[in-house]
Amino acid sequence: MFLFANATIYIGLALAVYSLLIITLGISTKNQRLINSGKGGMIALLVCSSLAMMSLFYLLATSSFQYEYVHDYTSSELPIIYKLTALWAGNAGSLLLWTFFLTLYMIMIAFSRKLKGNPMVPYVSAILLANAVFFFFILGFVAKPFLLLDNVPIEGKGLNPMLQNPGMIIHPVTLYLGYVGLAIPFAFAMAALILKNVDDFWIKMTRRWTIIAWLFLSLGNIFGGQWAYVELGWGGYWAWDPVENASFMPWLTATAFLHSVMIQERKNMLKIWNISLIIVSYALTLFGTFLVRSGVLTSVHAFANSNLGLYFLIFMGVAVIGALYVLMSRYNMLKRSAGEFNSFVSKESSFLVNNLLLVGAAFAVFWGTIFPLVSEAVRGTKVTVGLPFFNKVEAPILLSMMFVMAVCPMLAWQRSTVKNLKKNFMIPAILAVLGMVLMVVLGIQKAWAVIGYGVIILLLITHFLEFYRGVKARRKMTKESPLVALYRLMIRNRRRYGGYIVHLGIAFIAMGIIGSQNYDLETMKTVSLGQSIELKDYRINYDRLDQKREGINDIVYADVTVFRNGKKLGTYQPEKVFYGNWEQPSSEVAIISSLKEDLYIVLSAWEDDGKATFVVKVNPMMNWLWIGSFMIVIGALFAVWNGKYGNVTPRYTGARKEVS
Amino acid sequence: MKSKIYIGLLMFAFIFLGSFLQVEAAKQYDYKSAEFKAVASQFACTCGCGQDHYECDPNTCNLTTDFKKDLVEMMNKGWDKDKIRAYYVNIYGEEILTAPEKSGFSLTAWVLPFVVLGAAALAVLFIIRKWVKKRGPEGPVTEYENTEDEIEEEILSSMIDEERKKYL
Repeated sequence: MFLFANATIYIGLALAVYSLLIITLGISTKNQRLINSGKGGMIALLVCSSLAMMSLFYLLATSSFQYEYVHDYTSSELPIIYKLTALWAGNAGSLLLWTFFLTLYMIMIAFSRKLKGNPMVPYVSAILLANAVFFFFILGFVAKPFLLLDNVPIEGKGLNPMLQNPGMIIHPVTLYLGYVGLAIPFAFAMAALILKNVDDFWIKMTRRWTIIAWLFLSLGNIFGGQWAYVELGWGGYWAWDPVENASFMPWLTATAFLHSVMIQERKNMLKIWNISLIIVSYALTLFGTFLVRSGVLTSVHAFANSNLGLYFLIFMGVAVIGALYVLMSRYNMLKRSAGEFNSFVSKESSFLVNNLLLVGAAFAVFWGTIFPLVSEAVRGTKVTVGLPFFNKVEAPILLSMMFVMAVCPMLAWQRSTVKNLKKNFMIPAILAVLGMVLMVVLGIQKAWAVIGYGVIILLLITHFLEFYRGVKARRKMTKESPLVALYRLMIRNRRRYGGYIVHLGIAFIAMGIIGSQNYDLETMKTVSLGQSIELKDYRINYDRLDQKREGINDIVYADVTVFRNGKKLGTYQPEKVFYGNWEQPSSEVAIISSLKEDLYIVLSAWEDDGKATFVVKVNPMMNWLWIGSFMIVIGALFAVWNGKYGNVTPRYTGARKEVS
Repeated sequence: MKSKIYIGLLMFAFIFLGSFLQVEAAKQYDYKSAEFKAVASQFACTCGCGQDHYECDPNTCNLTTDFKKDLVEMMNKGWDKDKIRAYYVNIYGEEILTAPEKSGFSLTAWVLPFVVLGAAALAVLFIIRKWVKKRGPEGPVTEYENTEDEIEEEILSSMIDEERKKYL
């Protein structure tokens, strides 16, 4: 098994190098046979990475502790699902997963039906193969997944209990799918530049890939937040930790890209900007990995510190310099075809402002994340840049972003006159202001909350009007029933209406964030048996403290009965779990969830006389956050769904080469 | 004399009660109250948890247990959050804070994002102006009265497209 598993990695490396060289040679000599050979190599590469994955799954499932990776991340009593998902619990395994996804995507591109005969394919393949060479090199020489120990241990170290959660099964997978996904538009952009094909073919061709990568990145962040909320016992979901920032930055730049490509498609403009955005997004995925694996910054995301980060930094440097070189060498071609705007007030302009804010927000996150290093380099003091900084700096930028999001649907392409603007805006703006006044009257008086919810009201109204006007216009022409008109309107322009659903999802998320950040209540109290804790409308009766054993873990739990306004909601059991093979205990919180708010109960400590300390928290509107997240998924899927309409394969009009 | 004794006793009782209350207060202090959050969330816990002293769990971290007690003592003395902050920065330096100071070099952390954003906004304004000017006044423009017209045109063209696909 040892030989077989390692062979998959080293043969994989050899195949990746071979395929890269043979495709490059095929491109330069215009020899289709060489290209085909390289493509065959790519299939073999997928076979290698799949076999490597299966080998590691097998070793993890059978608790083969003679392997360092299996010993470090699993133990024999671990449920099988967590034994298997331990594959991405450590450096080597997670990079193997990354490599597998990369080779999978590569095959999907190289053998895509839509791209048959397209001269971009060899170039795209070569760029992705360069990535594959790097990852197989890392797996072969730096983070080896199949390293044997000198002796065979009886038991493994076990999996960090924090990672034994459904959220953790899926969070890394989605994040990696997002990270790897961004390599595809990057490879297409580079191929287009190398081929001097500066139209929007690469954008149209990779549109779906970008949305899918964006969706996975969103899901990765959402699952991460959800995991933190239920598992860490801290009641929060986003801590602006360097690693969280690392996945948020490419999300912001990819979002900017998804919007600015529309200007290139419509007006043949912003070519340099779009290519720059995709280079930055791709580079940020590598930068994120550098941050996670290098240990240069303090993070709660516990990947062992190693020199692995350095390799990523070097690879990122090479990729960025290479990409910039290609971009610069085609600069004049890209610049020549620049178009023009018709008016200051137009959808085009609002997209530029949207890009400004999204990239500005990404820069602020980047600056805050690296500032400890900057500060240390400049004056020798490594300061902490944490939650208060990011909340203060990001809040105004992202709120402005929400405002642009609210206004944008009301603006026409080409030109919106002030008169039209007034006509379109007057009612939504008045309603938003009325909503804000109502909030103040009802007691919501924190400035951020009032402004934030005001902007969200505006957004909801403008988006509603967008749907309403579309249906009205359609009905005027087709006399369909409203629901049929809405359905047909939406499926005939999936990208637009999918995008609007995503906007609505973002609005819901923002509602949840504003509510939970501004109006959360918390208390920590030590109570005797029979006593109760009161917070807001809730009364929590402390009924019982007991202990039970599950496998090798000891669980201390409290029975608490929860009442709201005197009405019994039920009995709940917050727990503290002590693991047989892990030093740190973890809290299993009791969450009583409703649309209005979550009641979050943590059993914090206890004494011999039965007294127990509880942390009780009321988190308003948390469910809105999860509903919004769900809407994002629906919207993005709706936008990329292979529908009947508008699903035209873009025509390639670029340079023709003999090989494809 | 008697009244003096009474006053003395009363004062004693008051002091005793005060100290008793203070002990109770320290014992029962709500580490999750808003007042405590304002003070404690300023300081980063150095136990490796990556959290601030408000979030860090006193049951798993000895460092934060003592730190929290010290904070409560200072708050009981009437110190406000800025005074407590200055006290700790004086001893441990800026490293103990969860966010950089808004002075000296650290001010750049706060200011630079907005400076860059402002500069970029000016650049965007300049670019749009350039592009609008380039078009010139007489360029042909499809001017929509409102977004509704635009949608109507889109619907119409999609219907034409649909029909075309049916017959061609």
